[in-house]
Amino acid sequence: MAQVLPTGLPSTRGRRARAVAFRVLMLGALAFVVGPALWLVVGVVGRALPGWRWNVLTTLSQGTSGGLANAVVGTLVLMAGVLILAGTTGVLTGIYLSEFAQGGRGVTVVRVAIDVLAGFPSIVLGYVGYVALCVGLGWGFSLLPALMILSFMVVPYIAKATEAALHQVPTSYREGAEALGMPGGHALRRVVVRTALPGIVTGLLIALSIAGGETAPLLYTAGVTNNLPTWSLLHHPIAYLTYYVWTDWNQPTAAAHVVSYDASLILVVMVLAMLVVARLIVSRTQRHAESAT
Amino acid sequence: MKSIRRPSLRTISTLALVGSVALVGLSSVAGAGSRPAAKKKPAPFTVKVETPPAASLSETGSTLLYPLWNLWAPDYQSQFPKVTLSTAGTGSGTGIADAASGTVSIGSSDAYLSPTTLSSNPTLLNIPLAISYQVIMYNLPGLTAHLKLNGTILTRIYLGKITSWNDPQITALNPGVKIPSLPIVALHRADGSGDTFLFSQYLARQDGSEWGVGNYGTTVTWPAIKNQLAEQGNGGMVSGCAATPGCVAYVGVSYLTQGLGDGLGYGQLRNGNGQYVMPTAQAVALEASGYTKITPANGTISMINGRVKGGYPIINYEYAIVNTKQSSSSTAKAIRSVLEWAISPKFGNGHQYLSQVRFQPLPLKVVEQSYKQIQKIK
Amino acid sequence: MRQRASIDVIGARRDESSSRRLRRVWAQREESLWRVGGRVATLVPVGALVFLVAVLAVKAWPAVKVNGGSFLTSTAWLPGNTYGGVEHVHGVTIPAGARYGAWPLIAGTLQTSAIALVFAVPVSILTAFALTEGLPGWIARPVGFVVEVVAGIPSVIIGLWGVLVLGPFLARHVYPLVANRIPDVPVLKYLGGSVGYGEGLLTSGLVLGLMIVPIIASTTRDLFLQVPALPKEGARALGMTDAEVARRVTLPWVRSGVIGAAVLGLGRALGETIAVAMVSGSVLGVVSPNLYGTMTTIAATIVSQLDSAATDGTGFAVATLAEAGLLLAGISIVVNLAARAIVHRSGALGAPVGRA
Repeated sequence: MAQVLPTGLPSTRGRRARAVAFRVLMLGALAFVVGPALWLVVGVVGRALPGWRWNVLTTLSQGTSGGLANAVVGTLVLMAGVLILAGTTGVLTGIYLSEFAQGGRGVTVVRVAIDVLAGFPSIVLGYVGYVALCVGLGWGFSLLPALMILSFMVVPYIAKATEAALHQVPTSYREGAEALGMPGGHALRRVVVRTALPGIVTGLLIALSIAGGETAPLLYTAGVTNNLPTWSLLHHPIAYLTYYVWTDWNQPTAAAHVVSYDASLILVVMVLAMLVVARLIVSRTQRHAESAT
Repeated sequence: MKSIRRPSLRTISTLALVGSVALVGLSSVAGAGSRPAAKKKPAPFTVKVETPPAASLSETGSTLLYPLWNLWAPDYQSQFPKVTLSTAGTGSGTGIADAASGTVSIGSSDAYLSPTTLSSNPTLLNIPLAISYQVIMYNLPGLTAHLKLNGTILTRIYLGKITSWNDPQITALNPGVKIPSLPIVALHRADGSGDTFLFSQYLARQDGSEWGVGNYGTTVTWPAIKNQLAEQGNGGMVSGCAATPGCVAYVGVSYLTQGLGDGLGYGQLRNGNGQYVMPTAQAVALEASGYTKITPANGTISMINGRVKGGYPIINYEYAIVNTKQSSSSTAKAIRSVLEWAISPKFGNGHQYLSQVRFQPLPLKVVEQSYKQIQKIK
Repeated sequence: MRQRASIDVIGARRDESSSRRLRRVWAQREESLWRVGGRVATLVPVGALVFLVAVLAVKAWPAVKVNGGSFLTSTAWLPGNTYGGVEHVHGVTIPAGARYGAWPLIAGTLQTSAIALVFAVPVSILTAFALTEGLPGWIARPVGFVVEVVAGIPSVIIGLWGVLVLGPFLARHVYPLVANRIPDVPVLKYLGGSVGYGEGLLTSGLVLGLMIVPIIASTTRDLFLQVPALPKEGARALGMTDAEVARRVTLPWVRSGVIGAAVLGLGRALGETIAVAMVSGSVLGVVSPNLYGTMTTIAATIVSQLDSAATDGTGFAVATLAEAGLLLAGISIVVNLAARAIVHRSGALGAPVGRA
């Protein structure tokens, strides 16, 4: 059902004032969020566009100059890995917490662990990965420790979003599925999870965005390289865009700044593309769902 | 490691002596072209660059050395295509830690290894690669002169005792210069940094009475004063200073061009001899030559506040941090080859590379010492 | 589902083909598969936390021994002369003169996170309302994208913007409006005084707030969208205004989810590193005297000091940073349990209306 701005206002003065204030606050809050966001995005695009060359996407980096092909591929590999590792773990955790958990101490431990994990500074995660995995286990700077650390970081966001989304699925849906004789697991998959999909996807998107935007934990686990990622999980460093965003911004030459601006732009475009594609997929699966207004 | 403590009076006077000797030496070198070469002298030292086996090497560390590594790496690899050399700017401390843990082949650092680091990692070397220096920049719109500054004044600025640019202590030092009456905003590095190491050492040695003679390091506890800002990285220092009229900032020389482009000025500094010196290539070379003879075989020395006549007082060696014990002899050989290439005046230490980042080449004697250190990598 | 006996209507059939039987067996087993998979998955966050804390504890142990209990209360942050001599304290070798106290870091962490929440929670909820009810769909959808894009902007870019654009702007044009009107009396004077140059407590809190808005707002928006239309329409039919529907129907319906999202946002605020390191002023050893002063947080200190800590060959500086990391985990646990207790009391964790 389409929402329209309500036309009528109540007659009582107090209620009317509150209704108007609500609308003003609502738009004010939106401005507070959208203003800086646009400011940031326009800034990123505006800095990068004048010096933009398409071959940035196809040539390898030379650190403070050259292209970013290695970092683009590396970031995609890292995001895909996080989607597989953290996505599975997070969604399953969320489903368990919402559908199967009976309460009790064990579940509280899981919930607290999730919240605390979300509050761990990324640099500490990275450092622990460096000490225990890269050096301790001798894995070196490589894909696996990076994926593990990034996944630890974002599982909470996915699990929480999944749980919250499942929690909001109306009981009537579950009861309807039951009345139709659907076995529990089937109903869960076809009715409950599907209805909650937009919320779950939001969690995955936030998680991937955070994973793609992190620098510090990767510097200590993935290392850096100017070459393309290899297929090995261990002993080969991997490149990512955020490294170039930060390091090259802090370099003295104009060429390095161009690399930094390009890396920021690519990252933002990647996030944007991810959001659009994910929403398109979701809206296809939701075509027949009636959960939304 | 006594040699890297604050120099005693004796070292300072030796230094002064060496400085003057070096000056004489330098002038004789300058005249050498016209005279026949001395007969009994051995042939001047030349660096032999080994031909490396196939290897994949990585370098991480100092963000100040990072652009130079990025100039070196492609040219080295085109000369020796069997080697791939990947570079990264992560910060000196990380470079040291990575080299010590063996996660990278070469670490690079603006500061030499501390005695405690060496005692817990006795197989680490710090090999001088090039010479860098630090400039003091400020944002004083309309001012074109290079202000004279010294350790006492900078100390008082960073302690919050001098708060305005037209403070009598500054104007007295700069007669005839019209300094605007802006409040001073003291910028320091938010992150731990080799630049902080150099700058705090300069303050400690110029005027230890107010700053504290032992108060130096890659991180120092800056007093909380009203007009101060902390910035991440040299790039942050320059852009932060450009955004804040009245600021003063210590910046690695590679960033001088960027700072000038952003409208910043830079000052003359008082050296250990009491002279005010501009940060020019000549003044830096002069200072470096003064330290050449007392640079120990392991390269560990501070070159701050020297008494060399006309020498600029904040210069330093940039180091490669390498473990002498490598996993294989072929890796070791490749690392040696890269470093030999880097210190060779014909290749890495040539003007064509160093001038792009405003670094200075190593004096030949130090090249020889670095070469000897490189040979220890097995 | 939730211990409800499922009614098996197909089960009674006799003459089914083998493939059909397979499907039936699968259908019956599927639920337990989800259950077992879920339980295994919950081990990951718990295991990860145990792993992190264990590694940190091992690394931090020398620092815990040396710094002692005064680590929580002392304001000193003196790395000592890493190039000078060493001392031995409780059998641990440390650089001469090294003394660490984390009180300013703890205070800064709590202050910035509180500011961030105070800013972000109302803004996020109102934004979510605007996106679901206040704006027509053709404009709400792109605006919703913009909000989510903020989550994907690397923290360093937000930090750069904060330190070069937002901070100076606020310090020049916004903070003085408040600070110059504050009388010099106790408590209130915390809001007045010098506003500095835009790096400091309030700027950090606001930047953090901006960073966690997408996390809270996008989750809240999805929750709002799942509130069935019927009760809302009913409320409107009774003559309620939008504001009243929001307050009395929509918000109570999704309260637990919103609180969950806010706690998650709080987690991010507590742990955010580089952006805060850039806008906080990174002053070690000082608690800000007013709302605008330069300061630092635990996470920002760790990210900006870890590199130089690596040059302390005794390992004491790194150990102290590990201890600070442990401390942050501790704070996080305490804050979390407190939030849980509050929520439990107000009954918001109970089942939402739709799931009686």
